[in-house]
Amino acid sequence: MAETTFMGVRRELIPWAPVIDYTKCNFCLECDKFCPHGVFKRQEGDIKLVVATPTNCVVFCRACAKTCGPDALSFPDKAETTRLIKELRAKGAGA
Amino acid sequence: MSEKYAYLPCNGLDKPEGPLSREAALLMLEAAGGELVCPVLLARSQARYAKVLGELPLFAVDGCATRCASRLAADHGLAVARKVQIAEALKAVGASVEGSLVPGPQGLAFVRNLVAGLLAAPTPAAQSETTADFAAPVTYLTLTHDKFIFRVPADGYYFNENDCWVRVSGNRARVGISDFMQQYLSDVIFCTPPDLGATIEQFGEVGTVESSKASFEVVSPVAGRVVAVNQGVADAPELVNEDPYERGWIAELELADFAADRELLLDGPQYLEHLKQKTAEFRG
Repeated sequence: MAETTFMGVRRELIPWAPVIDYTKCNFCLECDKFCPHGVFKRQEGDIKLVVATPTNCVVFCRACAKTCGPDALSFPDKAETTRLIKELRAKGAGA
Repeated sequence: MSEKYAYLPCNGLDKPEGPLSREAALLMLEAAGGELVCPVLLARSQARYAKVLGELPLFAVDGCATRCASRLAADHGLAVARKVQIAEALKAVGASVEGSLVPGPQGLAFVRNLVAGLLAAPTPAAQSETTADFAAPVTYLTLTHDKFIFRVPADGYYFNENDCWVRVSGNRARVGISDFMQQYLSDVIFCTPPDLGATIEQFGEVGTVESSKASFEVVSPVAGRVVAVNQGVADAPELVNEDPYERGWIAELELADFAADRELLLDGPQYLEHLKQKTAEFRG
């Protein structure tokens, strides 16, 4: 289930999702096994995992990064994201 | 740290931090006494360690964020009294041991320093300067989904959409995780409180709650300064499962600007509505 809003702001306007550093990722897939929201997608080839559905990622959740042995996942700055959400709310960017 | 522990290192072989977890456990054992628990043998035969683990608190030494030692403990129903993670500790001082799987002088020196710090640090203790009153009885709303029942306080609590709550009393507030989140995580084995005195932004990390399933970052619903942490959940993490809204609180903050924070929070009935959507796919 993709949530369509977060704190009253349309989810697609909030750029919160993991970024995979492929120089570190060893494709152990722990993050994908953990994430219940279908953010990641496995695929064939050298790059075995991608962030396929970033808008499914729960804003401010960084739980997948805590499963990552090689520390290959990063997220946007929280304070910056909060500021953006407040701005968008003020502009009435709801659903 | 005068207390003796049973040390459980992950002893992982495929990353440089794994062998360092073993070094750390051996150094602590040598300096402070206790017992060493081999993760492989524990996985094969818990009975081998029944006596040791019945007598000594467990100290999990994880190499990396995969947390194999902690998760192994959780899988065997063992409470973790203290823990350290080598990768996290390295990151905290801006160091790294990338490269060889054989511990080099740099890695060994790091572990020696880390262990010296752990041995010097007192067992985490309650340092509460609470003056606020959080004793008022709580009445609950409930949401039933399949075989699960999720409780939400009817009033006096506010939530963010990350399943964390805040209860305000004057200029103080307690924070914790919701009943839904504790059930999602299942048996909590360890809580890491935030540092006392730390300044937390709204939606910043205010501790972590770990189960075998996940390490959950507690997302602070409010901004403020940490004035107390709950020793109760440090001693008995299962309190988070048993009583997430009252005895299972994580930290107490002196509020910075609750009126501003409040705008981005849900009250109990609003959170209950939010949960209805969220639980549609919940299978525990």
